[in-house]
Amino acid sequence: MAEEFLLSDDFLRQLMSVGEVDLLVGIPSHNNAATIGRVVETIEQTFQRGFPRERVVIINVDGGSTDGTSDILKNAAVQRSSGSRGLTSLRTERRIVTRYGSAPSSGIAFRTLLAAADLLRAKACAVISPDASNLTEAWVGHLLEPIYKQNFDFVAPLYCRHKYDGLLARNLLYPMGRAVFGKRLREFHASDLGFSGRLASHCLNQDAWRESPVEAAPETWMAVTSLASDFRCCQSFLGPKAQSTTASATDIVAVVRQIVGALFWSLESQESVWIGRVGSEPIPTFGPDHELESNGMRVNRERIFELFRSGVSELSPILKSILAADTEAEIQRVAAQDEQNFRFDHALWTRTLCDFAAAYHHSVLNRDHVVQALVPLYRGRIYSFLSQHQDSSADEIEADSEKLCLEFERQKPYLVEKWKVRSEVKP
Amino acid sequence: MRETIIQGMTQAYENLVHMVADFLPRFVVMFAIILVGLLLAFLLRYFLRLVLHPTRLDRISEEAGASHVLRRAALPPMTELLSRALFWVTLLGFVLLGISVLGIAELQEQISRLFQLLPQLFVAILVLFVGVLAANFLSRAALLATVNAGYRSPRLWSIAIRSAILILAISMALEQVGLARQTVVAAFSIVFGAVMFALALAFGLGGKDLARQTLERYLGDKKEKEKEVEPSPL
Repeated sequence: MAEEFLLSDDFLRQLMSVGEVDLLVGIPSHNNAATIGRVVETIEQTFQRGFPRERVVIINVDGGSTDGTSDILKNAAVQRSSGSRGLTSLRTERRIVTRYGSAPSSGIAFRTLLAAADLLRAKACAVISPDASNLTEAWVGHLLEPIYKQNFDFVAPLYCRHKYDGLLARNLLYPMGRAVFGKRLREFHASDLGFSGRLASHCLNQDAWRESPVEAAPETWMAVTSLASDFRCCQSFLGPKAQSTTASATDIVAVVRQIVGALFWSLESQESVWIGRVGSEPIPTFGPDHELESNGMRVNRERIFELFRSGVSELSPILKSILAADTEAEIQRVAAQDEQNFRFDHALWTRTLCDFAAAYHHSVLNRDHVVQALVPLYRGRIYSFLSQHQDSSADEIEADSEKLCLEFERQKPYLVEKWKVRSEVKP
Repeated sequence: MRETIIQGMTQAYENLVHMVADFLPRFVVMFAIILVGLLLAFLLRYFLRLVLHPTRLDRISEEAGASHVLRRAALPPMTELLSRALFWVTLLGFVLLGISVLGIAELQEQISRLFQLLPQLFVAILVLFVGVLAANFLSRAALLATVNAGYRSPRLWSIAIRSAILILAISMALEQVGLARQTVVAAFSIVFGAVMFALALAFGLGGKDLARQTLERYLGDKKEKEKEVEPSPL
């Protein structure tokens, strides 16, 4: 373990003054002054009501905020709730703040939290997003309790979402992750999650931290590591997730690069684990495993389709070097369809992703370029999803997602075949 | 008369014998040097392959697009290419060394020139190769970035970047070998100036609409735009 290279002296001093803890909640932040005060108050209230006798600590790992985020966190008032039990008034509330640099980095922030969890011998840990504007006491409790009271090692969140939110998870991360690793974990990438001290130490001791996909999306890597290493995983329903604000084109590209890159990289690093797994099995779930709402949200579908079509046309030589010939021909065929009849069906989408994962593995191009080339096709798939489910109910969407998952499981041998044998290089 | 002829022939014969006696050992030495060079070249190629195979050089070269360039030029993979290059450079060096042992003045002068040119040639090829790699990588990065951001004419950006880098690399390589130095500098200046002038003209004449759209995007009715979003991936 290399925390002496990672943690500042001041941070270590603060950790030593805390001693051992039962529960640790980490908040990685960067300019979250608007929301962090409420977040920390909610966490404190959770501790008072749900864990009155436990030794607890809140750790803020800040990536160079200039809006006083850390000060707000330190000074947020502790409201003694009337419903709190036990000797909470005698307990010292611990809040630790550390700053790791002038620019945010998920990898450094996450690793710092794991190192702190390891040093403090925390039994259960949770990471909470600092902009979780609708955070409730139940959220924090639902992430910590399965670990602290039922000995799980990893808790992934489940949210109630708008039917058009979380489409990367619904169309790519969940079906592909489920088919590959054989476990039905819905959120492979979550900004709120729970993990045991055991899993924290295990992850901390891995040599993967220098890899850029892990630095970019450590949450995804931890989810995969816990599944692949047979840690006890579960899912916990938290409630409605604050609807994401405008996702600009750049955001989508950045998200796909980070998270899909991390998933593809994880496939490679865990190759020996998944290649022989067949089918999938459910994992313990607390609360409903899906909940969708469909209040009004206007989506610029024409723009998405335009970006898909121009992407397929402009990136044609790149796609030829990534995709199998028949997959590429099929994509060109569907891209030529008009908007009304356009469908990016499950089978084609699955085959496309298998080809991309294999191309990433075989490095047919620079790996980051491979992932970036997926963005227009993801947009095509999303356009198809939006068109198909404009008037669908939650159950209909769920049934369709299940079909996609089964298609991925059916086509897993194709992925394995492409993964093992590098196809002949096309000129 | 007869004696003169015999004397001349004897002299010629003696000269020939003397020349052969003088040349033959040098020739043998040349062969010996070339043979040693061949052996050494084989050994170096073997050891370089041995050293390079466990490294990720081929994968790095694949990721950087170098392998693609090599395949298009019908060349072997990077590891094999470097091994073969070392073999031939070593062998060539020993062949030239061997030839110089022959002591032919004109040849020696040419060889000496060739030896002086070799490092420059090597650097020029290296510059050209790195230039081609950088051009491929950056033009592809530009193409992906512009396509994903929804910019117009992404291929134009990509081609412009590739051309600029290739022109720069070629001019640097030619300058390195000292080939028509002044012509190259002048040609580069003219081409570069012309490209910039064309871009300035194109932007001035054709960019009015783009500027208007950009200003509208930033100063227009934001509320209206925010109503229609691309769905969040997370």
